[in-house]
Amino acid sequence: MKMQAMRGWAAVHKWSSLVCTAFLLIICLTGLPLIFSDEIRAWQEPHIYDPMPAGTTATSLDVLAQAAHTLYPGEVVTSIYMDDDEPQAYVWLAPTFEALERDPPSQHYLRFDSRTGKLLERSQRLSEEPMGFMTWMRRLHTDWFAGLAGELFLGFMALLFVVAVVSGTVLYGPFMKKQAFGSVRTGRSARLRWLDLHNLLGIVTLVWASVVGFTGLVNELSTPLFALWQRTDVQELLTPYHGQPQATRESLAGPQAALDAAQAGAPGVHFGSVIFPGSPFGSPHHYVLWGKGDSPLTSRMFRPALIDARNADVTALPEMPWYLRALQISRPLHFGDYGGMPLKWLWAVLDLITVVVLGSGLYLWIARRKTQALRTAQTKDTTEVRP
Amino acid sequence: MSSPGNFQSTWTMPLLLALLTLFGLLAALLGTGVWHALAWLALLVPIGTGLRYSLWPNARGLTGRTKSDGPSRSDHR
Repeated sequence: MKMQAMRGWAAVHKWSSLVCTAFLLIICLTGLPLIFSDEIRAWQEPHIYDPMPAGTTATSLDVLAQAAHTLYPGEVVTSIYMDDDEPQAYVWLAPTFEALERDPPSQHYLRFDSRTGKLLERSQRLSEEPMGFMTWMRRLHTDWFAGLAGELFLGFMALLFVVAVVSGTVLYGPFMKKQAFGSVRTGRSARLRWLDLHNLLGIVTLVWASVVGFTGLVNELSTPLFALWQRTDVQELLTPYHGQPQATRESLAGPQAALDAAQAGAPGVHFGSVIFPGSPFGSPHHYVLWGKGDSPLTSRMFRPALIDARNADVTALPEMPWYLRALQISRPLHFGDYGGMPLKWLWAVLDLITVVVLGSGLYLWIARRKTQALRTAQTKDTTEVRP
Repeated sequence: MSSPGNFQSTWTMPLLLALLTLFGLLAALLGTGVWHALAWLALLVPIGTGLRYSLWPNARGLTGRTKSDGPSRSDHR
Protein backbone atom coordinates (compact mmCIF):
# COMPACT_ATOMS: atom_id res chain seq x y z
CA MET A 1 0.00 0.00 0.00
CA LYS A 2 1.23 3.47 -0.79
CA MET A 3 2.52 5.36 2.18
CA GLN A 4 0.18 8.25 1.57
CA ALA A 5 -2.92 6.07 1.38
CA MET A 6 -1.86 4.34 4.53
CA ARG A 7 -1.45 7.61 6.38
CA GLY A 8 -4.94 8.50 5.26
CA TRP A 9 -6.41 5.25 6.52
CA ALA A 10 -4.50 5.59 9.76
CA ALA A 11 -5.96 9.06 10.26
CA VAL A 12 -9.46 7.77 9.50
CA HIS A 13 -8.97 4.93 11.98
CA LYS A 14 -7.62 7.22 14.65
CA TRP A 15 -10.27 9.89 14.47
CA SER A 16 -13.30 7.67 13.94
CA SER A 17 -12.19 5.54 16.90
CA LEU A 18 -11.32 8.44 19.14
CA VAL A 19 -14.71 10.06 18.73
CA CYS A 20 -16.77 6.92 19.23
CA THR A 21 -14.75 4.86 21.72
CA ALA A 22 -16.12 6.32 24.95
CA PHE A 23 -19.70 5.92 23.71
CA LEU A 24 -18.99 2.46 22.33
CA LEU A 25 -17.58 1.33 25.67
CA ILE A 26 -20.81 2.40 27.37
CA ILE A 27 -22.82 0.74 24.60
CA CYS A 28 -20.89 -2.52 25.03
CA LEU A 29 -21.26 -2.52 28.80
CA THR A 30 -24.97 -1.67 28.79
CA GLY A 31 -25.51 -4.09 25.92
CA LEU A 32 -24.23 -6.96 28.02
CA PRO A 33 -27.28 -7.20 30.33
CA LEU A 34 -29.57 -6.31 27.41
CA ILE A 35 -28.53 -9.54 25.65
CA PHE A 36 -30.16 -11.38 28.53
CA SER A 37 -33.09 -9.01 29.05
CA ASP A 38 -35.72 -11.75 28.68
CA GLU A 39 -34.02 -13.92 31.28
CA ILE A 40 -33.41 -11.01 33.65
CA ARG A 41 -37.01 -9.86 33.39
CA ALA A 42 -38.31 -13.36 34.03
CA TRP A 43 -36.04 -13.53 37.08
CA GLN A 44 -36.96 -10.06 38.39
CA GLU A 45 -40.69 -10.54 37.95
CA PRO A 46 -41.62 -14.16 37.52
CA HIS A 47 -45.03 -14.55 35.90
CA ILE A 48 -47.11 -17.31 37.40
CA TYR A 49 -50.21 -18.64 35.68
CA ASP A 50 -53.09 -20.80 36.81
CA PRO A 51 -52.75 -24.29 35.40
CA MET A 52 -55.14 -24.80 32.50
CA PRO A 53 -55.57 -27.68 30.10
CA ALA A 54 -53.25 -27.32 27.10
CA GLY A 55 -54.89 -25.81 24.06
CA THR A 56 -57.38 -23.72 26.03
CA THR A 57 -58.61 -21.08 23.61
CA ALA A 58 -57.94 -17.43 24.20
CA THR A 59 -60.57 -15.11 25.63
CA SER A 60 -62.13 -12.76 23.09
CA LEU A 61 -60.21 -9.51 22.77
CA ASP A 62 -63.59 -7.74 23.02
CA VAL A 63 -63.94 -9.07 26.56
CA LEU A 64 -60.49 -7.76 27.49
CA ALA A 65 -61.15 -4.34 25.94
CA GLN A 66 -64.52 -4.17 27.71
CA ALA A 67 -62.91 -5.05 31.03
CA ALA A 68 -60.40 -2.24 30.51
CA HIS A 69 -63.18 0.22 29.71
CA THR A 70 -65.05 -0.79 32.83
CA LEU A 71 -61.99 -0.14 34.97
CA TYR A 72 -61.12 3.15 33.25
CA PRO A 73 -64.35 4.50 31.77
CA GLY A 74 -62.87 7.92 31.00
CA GLU A 75 -59.92 6.58 29.00
CA VAL A 76 -59.30 5.03 25.60
CA VAL A 77 -57.91 1.61 24.82
CA THR A 78 -55.00 2.26 22.47
CA SER A 79 -53.73 -1.25 21.73
CA ILE A 80 -53.77 -4.88 22.76
CA TYR A 81 -50.64 -6.99 22.71
CA MET A 82 -50.85 -10.78 22.88
CA ASP A 83 -47.75 -12.61 24.01
CA ASP A 84 -46.44 -15.60 22.07
CA ASP A 85 -44.53 -17.24 24.84
CA GLU A 86 -46.83 -16.76 27.80
CA PRO A 87 -50.64 -16.86 28.07
CA GLN A 88 -50.89 -13.15 28.69
CA ALA A 89 -52.34 -10.11 26.96
CA TYR A 90 -51.56 -6.47 27.63
CA VAL A 91 -54.32 -3.92 27.15
CA TRP A 92 -52.83 -0.44 26.84
CA LEU A 93 -54.81 2.66 27.79
CA ALA A 94 -54.24 6.40 27.64
CA PRO A 95 -56.30 9.40 28.82
CA THR A 96 -56.97 10.28 25.15
CA PHE A 97 -55.27 9.57 21.82
CA GLU A 98 -54.09 13.19 21.75
CA ALA A 99 -52.50 12.73 25.17
CA LEU A 100 -50.77 9.59 23.91
CA GLU A 101 -49.30 11.48 20.99
CA ARG A 102 -48.27 14.49 23.06
CA ASP A 103 -47.06 12.59 26.08
CA PRO A 104 -46.47 8.86 25.44
CA PRO A 105 -45.58 8.14 29.09
CA SER A 106 -49.18 8.98 30.02
CA GLN A 107 -50.14 5.47 28.93
CA HIS A 108 -50.48 2.47 31.18
CA TYR A 109 -51.50 -1.16 30.82
CA LEU A 110 -53.60 -3.94 32.25
CA ARG A 111 -52.18 -7.43 32.02
CA PHE A 112 -54.68 -10.27 31.63
CA ASP A 113 -54.48 -14.02 31.54
CA SER A 114 -55.31 -14.43 27.87
CA ARG A 115 -57.11 -17.75 28.45
CA THR A 116 -59.35 -16.81 31.37
CA GLY A 117 -59.49 -13.03 31.04
CA LYS A 118 -58.43 -12.75 34.66
CA LEU A 119 -56.74 -9.43 35.51
CA LEU A 120 -53.16 -10.17 36.57
CA GLU A 121 -51.55 -6.77 36.83
CA ARG A 122 -52.39 -3.06 36.77
CA SER A 123 -49.50 -0.82 35.87
CA GLN A 124 -49.07 2.80 36.85
CA ARG A 125 -48.73 5.37 34.12
CA LEU A 126 -45.33 4.92 32.55
CA SER A 127 -44.41 8.41 33.75
CA GLU A 128 -45.00 7.27 37.33
CA GLU A 129 -43.31 3.88 37.06
CA PRO A 130 -39.93 3.86 38.78
CA MET A 131 -37.20 3.38 36.23
CA GLY A 132 -35.82 -0.13 36.63
CA PHE A 133 -32.25 -1.27 36.07
CA MET A 134 -33.03 -2.68 32.63
CA THR A 135 -34.71 0.53 31.52
CA TRP A 136 -31.59 2.42 32.55
CA MET A 137 -29.47 0.03 30.56
CA ARG A 138 -31.71 0.32 27.53
CA ARG A 139 -31.84 4.11 27.58
CA LEU A 140 -28.06 4.40 28.03
CA HIS A 141 -27.66 1.93 25.20
CA THR A 142 -30.07 3.55 22.77
CA ASP A 143 -30.88 7.21 23.36
CA TRP A 144 -29.27 8.66 26.47
CA PHE A 145 -32.70 9.78 27.69
CA ALA A 146 -32.86 12.22 24.80
CA GLY A 147 -35.39 10.52 22.51
CA LEU A 148 -34.89 10.91 18.79
CA ALA A 149 -31.91 13.26 19.16
CA GLY A 150 -30.15 10.67 21.31
CA GLU A 151 -31.01 7.88 18.87
CA LEU A 152 -29.56 9.80 15.95
CA PHE A 153 -26.47 10.76 17.92
CA LEU A 154 -25.72 7.19 19.00
CA GLY A 155 -26.57 6.05 15.46
CA PHE A 156 -23.83 8.36 14.25
CA MET A 157 -21.48 6.82 16.83
CA ALA A 158 -22.37 3.39 15.41
CA LEU A 159 -21.51 4.69 11.95
CA LEU A 160 -18.14 5.90 13.21
CA PHE A 161 -17.59 2.51 14.80
CA VAL A 162 -18.21 0.79 11.46
CA VAL A 163 -15.78 3.23 9.83
CA ALA A 164 -13.23 2.39 12.53
CA VAL A 165 -13.70 -1.34 11.93
CA VAL A 166 -13.30 -0.97 8.17
CA SER A 167 -10.27 1.32 8.39
CA GLY A 168 -8.75 -0.94 11.03
CA THR A 169 -9.13 -3.89 8.67
CA VAL A 170 -7.43 -1.97 5.84
CA LEU A 171 -4.52 -1.24 8.16
CA TYR A 172 -4.32 -4.83 9.33
CA GLY A 173 -2.87 -5.95 5.99
CA PRO A 174 0.34 -3.89 5.83
CA PHE A 175 0.66 -4.20 9.55
CA MET A 176 0.74 -7.99 9.54
CA LYS A 177 2.98 -8.27 6.51
CA LYS A 178 5.94 -9.58 8.46
CA GLN A 179 3.97 -11.28 11.19
CA ALA A 180 2.36 -14.67 11.42
CA PHE A 181 -1.34 -14.69 12.16
CA GLY A 182 -1.97 -14.51 15.86
CA SER A 183 1.52 -13.60 16.91
CA VAL A 184 1.54 -11.60 20.11
CA ARG A 185 4.95 -10.20 20.92
CA THR A 186 5.22 -10.50 24.66
CA GLY A 187 8.94 -10.08 25.12
CA ARG A 188 9.20 -6.38 24.50
CA SER A 189 7.12 -3.41 25.53
CA ALA A 190 3.61 -3.63 26.93
CA ARG A 191 2.52 -1.32 24.15
CA LEU A 192 3.69 -3.71 21.47
CA ARG A 193 1.91 -6.58 23.18
CA TRP A 194 -1.33 -4.61 23.33
CA LEU A 195 -0.92 -3.54 19.75
CA ASP A 196 -0.74 -7.19 18.68
CA LEU A 197 -3.71 -8.05 20.89
CA HIS A 198 -5.67 -5.15 19.41
CA ASN A 199 -4.95 -6.41 15.90
CA LEU A 200 -5.65 -10.03 16.73
CA LEU A 201 -8.91 -9.49 18.63
CA GLY A 202 -10.00 -6.88 16.14
CA ILE A 203 -9.55 -9.19 13.17
CA VAL A 204 -11.22 -12.25 14.76
CA THR A 205 -14.29 -10.18 15.66
CA LEU A 206 -14.31 -8.27 12.38
CA VAL A 207 -17.52 -9.63 10.88
CA TRP A 208 -19.43 -9.76 14.15
CA ALA A 209 -18.46 -6.19 15.05
CA SER A 210 -19.35 -4.95 11.56
CA VAL A 211 -22.72 -6.67 11.61
CA VAL A 212 -23.65 -5.59 15.13
CA GLY A 213 -22.36 -2.08 14.50
CA PHE A 214 -24.21 -1.65 11.23
CA THR A 215 -27.46 -3.18 12.51
CA GLY A 216 -27.14 -0.94 15.57
CA LEU A 217 -27.05 2.03 13.24
CA VAL A 218 -30.13 0.78 11.37
CA ASN A 219 -31.99 0.20 14.64
CA GLU A 220 -31.26 3.77 15.71
CA LEU A 221 -32.99 4.92 12.52
CA SER A 222 -36.23 3.11 13.30
CA THR A 223 -38.13 6.25 14.30
CA PRO A 224 -37.49 8.17 11.06
CA LEU A 225 -37.93 5.01 8.95
CA PHE A 226 -41.36 4.28 10.42
CA ALA A 227 -42.30 7.94 10.07
CA LEU A 228 -41.31 7.80 6.41
CA TRP A 229 -43.51 4.75 5.85
CA GLN A 230 -46.44 6.38 7.67
CA ARG A 231 -46.13 9.47 5.50
CA THR A 232 -45.87 7.63 2.20
CA ASP A 233 -47.33 4.12 1.91
CA VAL A 234 -49.77 4.41 4.81
CA GLN A 235 -51.05 7.79 3.68
CA GLU A 236 -51.71 6.31 0.26
CA LEU A 237 -53.78 3.50 1.81
CA LEU A 238 -55.73 6.10 3.79
CA THR A 239 -56.54 8.36 0.82
CA PRO A 240 -60.01 6.86 0.22
CA TYR A 241 -60.91 7.66 3.82
CA HIS A 242 -60.05 11.36 3.63
CA GLY A 243 -62.81 13.53 4.97
CA GLN A 244 -64.60 10.71 6.72
CA PRO A 245 -65.38 11.30 10.37
CA GLN A 246 -63.47 9.14 12.80
CA ALA A 247 -65.42 6.15 14.02
CA THR A 248 -66.89 6.52 17.49
CA ARG A 249 -66.37 3.81 20.02
CA GLU A 250 -69.95 2.60 19.61
CA SER A 251 -69.56 2.15 15.86
CA LEU A 252 -66.35 0.14 16.05
CA ALA A 253 -66.34 -3.46 14.89
CA GLY A 254 -64.30 -4.55 17.89
CA PRO A 255 -60.77 -5.92 18.16
CA GLN A 256 -61.74 -9.59 17.98
CA ALA A 257 -63.56 -9.11 14.66
CA ALA A 258 -60.52 -7.25 13.38
CA LEU A 259 -58.21 -10.05 14.50
CA ASP A 260 -60.41 -12.72 12.90
CA ALA A 261 -60.57 -10.77 9.63
CA ALA A 262 -56.80 -10.29 9.51
CA GLN A 263 -56.17 -13.92 10.37
CA ALA A 264 -58.53 -15.07 7.62
CA GLY A 265 -56.96 -12.66 5.13
CA ALA A 266 -53.38 -13.75 5.83
CA PRO A 267 -53.41 -17.38 6.92
CA GLY A 268 -49.62 -17.75 7.16
CA VAL A 269 -49.30 -14.80 9.48
CA HIS A 270 -49.74 -14.94 13.24
CA PHE A 271 -51.13 -11.62 14.45
CA GLY A 272 -49.99 -10.56 17.90
CA SER A 273 -51.03 -6.97 18.37
CA VAL A 274 -53.95 -4.70 17.58
CA ILE A 275 -53.55 -0.92 17.39
CA PHE A 276 -56.90 0.75 17.90
CA PRO A 277 -58.42 3.28 15.48
CA GLY A 278 -57.30 6.79 16.38
CA SER A 279 -53.97 5.82 17.87
CA PRO A 280 -51.08 7.98 16.67
CA PHE A 281 -49.32 4.69 15.93
CA GLY A 282 -52.19 3.41 13.80
CA SER A 283 -54.86 4.78 11.51
CA PRO A 284 -57.93 6.92 12.29
CA HIS A 285 -60.16 4.53 10.32
CA HIS A 286 -58.59 1.12 10.89
CA TYR A 287 -57.52 -1.40 13.36
CA VAL A 288 -53.85 -1.90 12.51
CA LEU A 289 -52.69 -5.40 13.32
CA TRP A 290 -49.12 -6.59 13.39
CA GLY A 291 -48.26 -10.18 12.74
CA LYS A 292 -45.33 -12.33 11.87
CA GLY A 293 -44.71 -15.38 9.73
CA ASP A 294 -43.97 -18.89 10.89
CA SER A 295 -40.60 -19.63 9.27
CA PRO A 296 -37.38 -18.75 11.13
CA LEU A 297 -36.87 -15.74 8.89
CA THR A 298 -40.44 -14.51 8.48
CA SER A 299 -41.01 -14.83 12.22
CA ARG A 300 -38.69 -11.84 12.42
CA MET A 301 -40.45 -9.89 9.70
CA PHE A 302 -43.50 -8.11 11.05
CA ARG A 303 -46.38 -7.54 8.70
CA PRO A 304 -49.27 -5.16 9.15
CA ALA A 305 -52.94 -5.57 8.29
CA LEU A 306 -55.33 -2.64 8.00
CA ILE A 307 -58.83 -3.65 8.99
CA ASP A 308 -61.74 -1.26 8.48
CA ALA A 309 -62.74 0.06 11.89
CA ARG A 310 -66.51 -0.10 11.29
CA ASN A 311 -67.15 -3.25 9.29
CA ALA A 312 -63.93 -5.22 9.88
CA ASP A 313 -63.25 -5.63 6.15
CA VAL A 314 -59.64 -6.17 5.19
CA THR A 315 -58.56 -2.85 3.67
CA ALA A 316 -54.98 -3.83 3.00
CA LEU A 317 -52.27 -6.34 3.85
CA PRO A 318 -49.40 -4.15 2.71
CA GLU A 319 -45.94 -5.49 1.98
CA MET A 320 -43.32 -3.69 3.98
CA PRO A 321 -40.96 -1.44 2.02
CA TRP A 322 -37.34 -2.52 1.70
CA TYR A 323 -36.08 -0.14 4.36
CA LEU A 324 -38.43 -1.53 6.99
CA ARG A 325 -37.50 -5.08 6.02
CA ALA A 326 -33.88 -4.08 6.50
CA LEU A 327 -34.78 -2.66 9.89
CA GLN A 328 -36.62 -5.82 10.90
CA ILE A 329 -33.79 -8.11 9.90
CA SER A 330 -31.40 -5.80 11.73
CA ARG A 331 -33.10 -6.44 15.04
CA PRO A 332 -32.19 -10.10 15.63
CA LEU A 333 -28.76 -9.59 14.08
CA HIS A 334 -28.14 -6.86 16.62
CA PHE A 335 -29.77 -8.42 19.68
CA GLY A 336 -28.37 -11.95 19.24
CA ASP A 337 -31.65 -13.37 20.50
CA TYR A 338 -32.31 -15.66 17.57
CA GLY A 339 -30.28 -18.77 18.26
CA GLY A 340 -31.06 -19.95 21.75
CA MET A 341 -29.10 -19.39 24.95
CA PRO A 342 -25.73 -20.48 23.51
CA LEU A 343 -25.93 -17.70 20.91
CA LYS A 344 -26.60 -15.18 23.69
CA TRP A 345 -23.50 -16.35 25.54
CA LEU A 346 -21.45 -16.14 22.35
CA TRP A 347 -22.81 -12.61 21.88
CA ALA A 348 -21.73 -11.75 25.42
CA VAL A 349 -18.20 -13.08 24.85
CA LEU A 350 -17.89 -11.22 21.55
CA ASP A 351 -19.16 -8.10 23.28
CA LEU A 352 -16.46 -8.44 25.95
CA ILE A 353 -13.77 -9.04 23.33
CA THR A 354 -14.94 -5.83 21.65
CA VAL A 355 -14.48 -4.05 24.98
CA VAL A 356 -10.87 -5.27 24.98
CA VAL A 357 -10.40 -4.06 21.40
CA LEU A 358 -11.82 -0.64 22.28
CA GLY A 359 -9.88 -0.40 25.52
CA SER A 360 -6.60 -1.46 23.94
CA GLY A 361 -7.15 1.01 21.12
CA LEU A 362 -7.62 3.78 23.63
CA TYR A 363 -4.56 2.61 25.55
CA LEU A 364 -2.48 2.57 22.38
CA TRP A 365 -3.48 6.12 21.65
CA ILE A 366 -2.81 7.27 25.19
CA ALA A 367 0.49 5.41 25.11
CA ARG A 368 1.70 8.33 23.15
CA ARG A 369 2.60 6.86 19.85
CA LYS A 370 0.52 8.35 17.14
CA THR A 371 -1.12 5.62 15.12
CA GLN A 372 0.17 7.25 12.00
CA ALA A 373 3.82 7.09 12.99
CA LEU A 374 3.31 3.58 14.19
CA ARG A 375 1.80 2.21 11.02
CA THR A 376 4.39 3.77 8.78
CA ALA A 377 7.22 2.60 10.98
CA GLN A 378 5.88 -0.94 10.78
CA THR A 379 6.23 -1.14 7.01
CA LYS A 380 9.92 -0.46 7.44
CA ASP A 381 9.99 -3.14 10.10
CA THR A 382 11.73 -0.91 12.54
CA THR A 383 9.09 -0.83 15.21
CA GLU A 384 10.12 -0.78 18.77
CA VAL A 385 13.81 -0.47 18.47
CA ARG A 386 13.48 1.79 21.45
CA PRO A 387 11.65 0.76 24.62
CA MET B 1 0.55 -6.07 0.26
CA SER B 2 3.33 -6.53 -2.24
CA SER B 3 3.56 -10.12 -3.43
CA PRO B 4 0.53 -12.37 -3.74
CA GLY B 5 2.12 -14.92 -1.43
CA ASN B 6 2.37 -12.30 1.22
CA PHE B 7 -1.21 -11.28 0.76
CA GLN B 8 -2.32 -14.87 1.00
CA SER B 9 -0.53 -15.66 4.22
CA THR B 10 -1.79 -12.47 5.83
CA TRP B 11 -5.39 -12.91 4.88
CA THR B 12 -6.04 -16.65 4.87
CA MET B 13 -6.97 -16.90 8.54
CA PRO B 14 -8.91 -13.61 8.74
CA LEU B 15 -10.89 -14.61 5.67
CA LEU B 16 -11.61 -18.06 7.04
CA LEU B 17 -12.78 -16.63 10.36
CA ALA B 18 -14.87 -14.01 8.57
CA LEU B 19 -16.62 -16.68 6.50
CA LEU B 20 -17.24 -18.84 9.57
CA THR B 21 -18.71 -15.88 11.45
CA LEU B 22 -20.91 -14.99 8.51
CA PHE B 23 -22.06 -18.58 8.22
CA GLY B 24 -22.81 -18.70 11.95
CA LEU B 25 -24.81 -15.48 11.98
CA LEU B 26 -26.89 -16.54 8.98
CA ALA B 27 -27.34 -20.22 9.89
CA ALA B 28 -28.93 -19.26 13.21
CA LEU B 29 -31.16 -16.75 11.44
CA LEU B 30 -32.33 -18.89 8.55
CA GLY B 31 -32.40 -22.33 10.12
CA THR B 32 -33.52 -24.15 13.21
CA GLY B 33 -32.42 -27.23 15.09
CA VAL B 34 -29.11 -28.52 13.78
CA TRP B 35 -28.40 -25.20 12.04
CA HIS B 36 -28.40 -23.50 15.43
CA ALA B 37 -25.82 -25.99 16.69
CA LEU B 38 -23.70 -25.42 13.57
CA ALA B 39 -24.00 -21.68 14.09
CA TRP B 40 -22.74 -21.98 17.67
CA LEU B 41 -19.79 -24.08 16.55
CA ALA B 42 -18.96 -21.70 13.71
CA LEU B 43 -18.98 -18.69 16.02
CA LEU B 44 -16.87 -20.51 18.58
CA VAL B 45 -13.99 -20.74 16.10
CA PRO B 46 -13.11 -17.00 15.87
CA ILE B 47 -13.66 -16.62 19.61
CA GLY B 48 -11.49 -19.62 20.39
CA THR B 49 -8.81 -18.47 17.97
CA GLY B 50 -8.69 -15.01 19.51
CA LEU B 51 -8.59 -16.32 23.06
CA ARG B 52 -6.01 -18.98 22.32
CA TYR B 53 -3.46 -16.53 20.89
CA SER B 54 -4.27 -13.87 23.50
CA LEU B 55 -4.00 -16.08 26.56
CA TRP B 56 -1.22 -18.42 25.43
CA PRO B 57 0.80 -16.34 22.99
CA ASN B 58 3.85 -18.56 23.25
CA ALA B 59 2.20 -21.92 22.94
CA ARG B 60 3.25 -23.89 19.90
CA GLY B 61 1.14 -25.91 17.55
CA LEU B 62 -2.32 -25.26 16.13
CA THR B 63 -2.78 -23.37 12.93
CA GLY B 64 -1.68 -19.96 11.93
CA ARG B 65 2.09 -20.40 11.95
CA THR B 66 2.18 -20.56 8.23
CA LYS B 67 4.37 -17.63 7.40
CA SER B 68 6.65 -18.75 4.63
CA ASP B 69 8.76 -15.64 4.34
CA GLY B 70 10.06 -15.27 7.84
CA PRO B 71 10.73 -16.93 11.14
CA SER B 72 7.73 -18.69 12.57
CA ARG B 73 8.21 -17.02 15.94
CA SER B 74 8.39 -13.31 15.61
CA ASP B 75 10.23 -12.79 18.91
CA HIS B 76 13.16 -14.73 17.53
CA ARG B 77 13.89 -11.86 15.23
